[in-house]
Amino acid sequence: MLVPIFTLKLNHKINPRMVTVGKYDGVHPCLTAATQAGKVFIHNPHTRGQRPTAHRLSQSTQDSDISLLNINQIVSCLTAGTLGPNTTGHTLLVGSQTNLLAYDVHDNADVFYKEVADGANSIVLGKLGDIKSPLAIIGGNCALQGFDYEGNDKFWTVTGDNVRSLVLCDFTGDGKNELLVGSEDFDIRVFREDELVTEMAENETVTSLCHMHGSRFGYALANGTVGVYDRTARYWRIKSKNHAMSIKAFDLNADGVVELITGWSNGKIDARSDRTGEVIFKDNFSSSVAGIVEGDYRMDGQIQLICTSVEGEVRGYLPASKEMKGNLMDASVEQDLIRDLSQRKQNLLLELRNYEENAKVAVSGVSEGESKMGVIPANTQLQTALSVRRATESQRAHIELNISTPNAETIIRAVLIFAEGIFEGESHVVHPSVQNLSGCVCVPIIPPKDIPVDLHIKAFVGGKTSALFHVFEITRQLPRFSMYDLNVDPSAGQPTGRVTFSINDRPQRVVMWLNQNFLLPEGIDSPDITFNALRGGGLLKISMQPSGEITFSTDDIDLAGDLVQSLASFLAIEDLQAEADFPIYFKELQDTLSEVDEFHSVHQKLTATMADHSNFVRNMLVQAEDARLMGDWRTTKKRYTELYDLNRDLINEYKIRSNNHRALLARLKSVNQAIQRAGRFRVGKPKNLVITACRDAIKNNNINALFKIMRIGTSSS
Amino acid sequence: MELNLNQVDYLQVGVTSQKIMKLLPTVGRKATQKPVFKSLPGQKISRLELGGALGTPQEKIFVCSGSEVRAYTKKGKQFLTFEANLTESINAMHVSGADLFVCASYIYNHFCDCKDQDYYLSGDKINDVLCLPVETVGRTVPILACQDRVLRVLQGSNLLYDVEVSGPPTVLELHNRDGGKDGEDVLYGTADGKLGLVRITQSGPITSWELDNEKKKGGVLCIDTFDIVGDGVKDILVGRDDGTVEVYGLDSSNEPTLRFENSVTSIQGGCVGKEMYDEVLTTTYTGWVSGLTTEPQQMVAGPGDEIKMSRETQGRVAALRGELEQLQLKVLQGREKYQQSSQSSTAVSAVPVFSINDKFTLCQDDASYSLTLEVQTAIDNLLLQSDVPIDLLDVDKNSAVVSFSECDSESNGNFLLATYRCQANTTRLELKVRSIEGQYGTLQAYVTPRLQPKTSQVRQYQIKPLSLHQRIHTIDQNRPMNTLRLMGQFSFAEIHSWVVFCLPEVPEKTPAGESITFYFQNTFLGTQLDATYCKDDANFKSDNISTISILKDVLSKEATKRKINLNISYEVNEDSVNHTLQMIHPKLEYQLILAKKVQLIDALKELQVHEGNADFLIPEYRSILDESAKLLEEYKKQPAHLERLYGMITDLFIDKFKFKGQNVKTKVSHLLEILNNYELNSLMDFFNEA
Repeated sequence: MLVPIFTLKLNHKINPRMVTVGKYDGVHPCLTAATQAGKVFIHNPHTRGQRPTAHRLSQSTQDSDISLLNINQIVSCLTAGTLGPNTTGHTLLVGSQTNLLAYDVHDNADVFYKEVADGANSIVLGKLGDIKSPLAIIGGNCALQGFDYEGNDKFWTVTGDNVRSLVLCDFTGDGKNELLVGSEDFDIRVFREDELVTEMAENETVTSLCHMHGSRFGYALANGTVGVYDRTARYWRIKSKNHAMSIKAFDLNADGVVELITGWSNGKIDARSDRTGEVIFKDNFSSSVAGIVEGDYRMDGQIQLICTSVEGEVRGYLPASKEMKGNLMDASVEQDLIRDLSQRKQNLLLELRNYEENAKVAVSGVSEGESKMGVIPANTQLQTALSVRRATESQRAHIELNISTPNAETIIRAVLIFAEGIFEGESHVVHPSVQNLSGCVCVPIIPPKDIPVDLHIKAFVGGKTSALFHVFEITRQLPRFSMYDLNVDPSAGQPTGRVTFSINDRPQRVVMWLNQNFLLPEGIDSPDITFNALRGGGLLKISMQPSGEITFSTDDIDLAGDLVQSLASFLAIEDLQAEADFPIYFKELQDTLSEVDEFHSVHQKLTATMADHSNFVRNMLVQAEDARLMGDWRTTKKRYTELYDLNRDLINEYKIRSNNHRALLARLKSVNQAIQRAGRFRVGKPKNLVITACRDAIKNNNINALFKIMRIGTSSS
Repeated sequence: MELNLNQVDYLQVGVTSQKIMKLLPTVGRKATQKPVFKSLPGQKISRLELGGALGTPQEKIFVCSGSEVRAYTKKGKQFLTFEANLTESINAMHVSGADLFVCASYIYNHFCDCKDQDYYLSGDKINDVLCLPVETVGRTVPILACQDRVLRVLQGSNLLYDVEVSGPPTVLELHNRDGGKDGEDVLYGTADGKLGLVRITQSGPITSWELDNEKKKGGVLCIDTFDIVGDGVKDILVGRDDGTVEVYGLDSSNEPTLRFENSVTSIQGGCVGKEMYDEVLTTTYTGWVSGLTTEPQQMVAGPGDEIKMSRETQGRVAALRGELEQLQLKVLQGREKYQQSSQSSTAVSAVPVFSINDKFTLCQDDASYSLTLEVQTAIDNLLLQSDVPIDLLDVDKNSAVVSFSECDSESNGNFLLATYRCQANTTRLELKVRSIEGQYGTLQAYVTPRLQPKTSQVRQYQIKPLSLHQRIHTIDQNRPMNTLRLMGQFSFAEIHSWVVFCLPEVPEKTPAGESITFYFQNTFLGTQLDATYCKDDANFKSDNISTISILKDVLSKEATKRKINLNISYEVNEDSVNHTLQMIHPKLEYQLILAKKVQLIDALKELQVHEGNADFLIPEYRSILDESAKLLEEYKKQPAHLERLYGMITDLFIDKFKFKGQNVKTKVSHLLEILNNYELNSLMDFFNEA
């Protein structure tokens, strides 16, 4: 059994996922973590003694090993590592919703302090692609930004939604690092510098990513799933009712291959084999795990796995020694083997008994007393059908899953559907009341997004009074674009937006794509088709010229982008240029952009007033204190009353400022999304060109150019 | 003293019942004892006992199944079959010399040399039977463990006296296996996990000690005494239904202390049988027979990388593998046949019912129900459905992924639809359910094990109108009581069935005699209920007006259903409302202060970090900081406690005026306002004025 080699109680709370280890003097590793009240603490047990306190750094009075760093903002992420080219020690990087601070702990000096409008939800430090210097890459609201040691903005791109996790790893195997980005739209995207290499759809917010080895990486989702990918193929995953707070690759059993270490919200830590997900070690904290890092904390040349809990408990584990033979748990191999074999034997015996009893009944016929057994005709089959249903008075538009048995005497007691991403939980249950029992059950399904879904259906089939039911298990696939109805309301207005591009493929291939990705009752044979979008309303028109020019007409800009991406991947198109025009959306975007300007100017104005006020405060305070020393109590009182009023004003202004800031952030996010959407009309190189060009246009405040790029895909005409 | 026990599995048999394994006594100098056990397949064997003529080794094996008792010699030869002529099957048995004691659900029978001696009809279900050793006591003293929290001590066919215990006793065992010096010491275990020792003397019971179940472990299933520590004093071995095995030692003052704790989580639910020299032998519901041995397990690491297995284990593994292969072949054939039958139009598919070990019990300390389900093979998923609003609480021990589904309460009457997808190798599931008094219906659990062909079995659990009430033995007569009186043309059996419908822990069988009185206590509020009824007349008294209101509603509804004309009269005691409020007051105040303190913890901690220490804070705040961990734990233990109290106060308010014929639902918002700025006097004033 593996036991921790050291345990510390730090008496400081630790914010989840904000833990790192930095060698700030180049030698001694220090555990660094964000704590309450906008502070970061650095635990340095190696150089005890008085250190000067100045600038940001102050000694904690509770514990001489801990120094506290005042950030005065709510910390949202932090990391440490080598940033500068000629520095010996690590640089600490702390991100908040508005700023990024690079700080040299050893010299007690800021390296740079940058304002980042999109915030920093996640940070990673390292080399990316061909960029020479290491970058501190932050992920914010739909945007990714990379800074070098001088604070120069060396890398910028947009992504689909708010970034929640980042990791650098050599995904393509070309010897250079790619950036993996997990975001709130459930996608893991891979960037080779600013080019999107690939994306993998998950079914929840991706909260953590970590590099295992080679092209293999681990991930964790907000719904309690952890797993391992190798490139785009998922190796394994498991789901728990708890949430994974932190994941880390570490070779705990010393077999030369790293394991995925997961820290859970209930305080559990487990190590899982990277190949199978089998648990090889587990331990428990009394409170939720905050972060897992590694470092040579005892300075004896061995790297330890360091786990921290939100209550400030720290445990260090050494990799298992050779004698343990990779057996970290308190169990005996032979006992496990025997237990496993016996269990299998037992299962087989039980299954055999089922068949024997079944045969007995088949011979003797069904007697009345056995009706509880849930006897059904052996040829009972379950039929399932999917169909699109339009909205009615009582029900929203949905896809209807019809499950029925042909036998009159059997009923469906309940239907369980396990599917990812379309229900609130992971399952949906239909359990008719006793009066409504029949051989047919209709399940309305409303997928919230255009994603292909596997429906794992379990239907309990039996007699009306039985207590035992046969379970029928069926898997049906819901196509990606299922919420689109062929029955078009003739009075509906024509869509104004459209995207047009040319392909070199036969129309049959496009028809094939249509049949596979839409829910069409009897299939179609021409690529010209009109749908009624049930989720957002409005029409979707797809048409193809003999020349190979395809037009998607819709007012839903996201849908158009999804269609282009889906078709391009179906036809394996590497580069695709397109023209797009969405007048309604472009008008909105224009408004948003002018609002951004407005908010910016308001922001500046407010900052100016605040500076004025703080000058006032200073004066007032001096006057008040003077009066107090003079013993002039009337004036003192007056001044302090004024000071109180001023303070109230300041608070009010702060509230206005923060509201203004929030509004500004929302606008900036939608601008970033617009760029991302413009990119999604194109594939491959044209896509990257569009994104870069759009950003340049925004930087230069050239709105007209921006729209032009979004329309035709390039800035030059 | 520390005790290290290692687990050794011997074999897996079918599903086993409670008290089903015994070790044969050693004969001569034979070193090891032989375990004897019986399992479910075939006709279900409900008990197994060892017996023999007094003074000789107890090595005759007695088993009971159905209403029959059979006896075998230790070589396996059957020498006795005895039909007890009971209408129900036997569920408890004790053998002592030529005396045989058997119990069906409510009936106790004593046979001597297979001749009927005594007979007794118990008021509630009999869980276990025991007889003090005749050799030491000199007379036959049978003791019945009954579901209504009473040990009944008999003399012949009559009740000698009752011994009240705090929970429904499930198991009885003689202390030290011989009842101590005087043979009068009896150990008992209860369904809610308590353990006690009582001395059954001629004149009356003397309770030596009782252990509370503070850690909320499972109910006691079996007890034994054996010196496992090896210090010359016998220890008490306890097996619980959540798979825990405990060893208690007795210290100098004969008080039990916990010596060893081993949560056998991989084997769950079980019955501890007897033990070898240095071993605790256990069987579990799922059929595992394993031992906890004091000998350290020998791990021989050979020169190679492989861990050497002992020759014995290698043999076992090889044998098992062989068996597996054969079985697999057979199963394949079976599967094929089954597939073929699906082609025929006349064949039927009928899969036998698998056995589920389930328990649905009220937990006293947090006033919620705990549901445990156990199946012999791994559970794949569980569907919970309820037609009454109930809350499903998270249980730490439960690792299954729960998912709540949308409920269509209008068309299909579902108020809860939840699925549990279990992790591999989960054979036991534990859930917690919180009910609301006055709302009643059925909770259904569909259990689907990982077994081909896949089937799902449904289990139903009643949520009764007064679901949070529990039987007690005495009630406080001084409380101000509200009364409800029903008169009309109903039989004793009818009124009893209505009471069974309304209240938990009432025996289903109509009690003997003309009239009956039951006492109950509300586990959440501590208010009490006295139910006394006979033919044509029923009286209910409670200090909680809501309890009376619920009873009135349910009973009148039931009577209407059966078209019985009821004359309902009630008497509301004005003081009772204030009394109930005063009973709630300490709980409410405690919860409010706790909530307030917990709210402050984070802010105070931040201040502490900011200032470097907590010296500047006033003592009150400093104490909050010092106790923060304890406070948080307390707060976590009682989720939604405050909301429940608020709900009950609101009910009380509405019910009080309902009896006056006023509808005060419009004033509820005002009440909630008062609760938010809670003060006992203002609340009482509000109740009195409104």
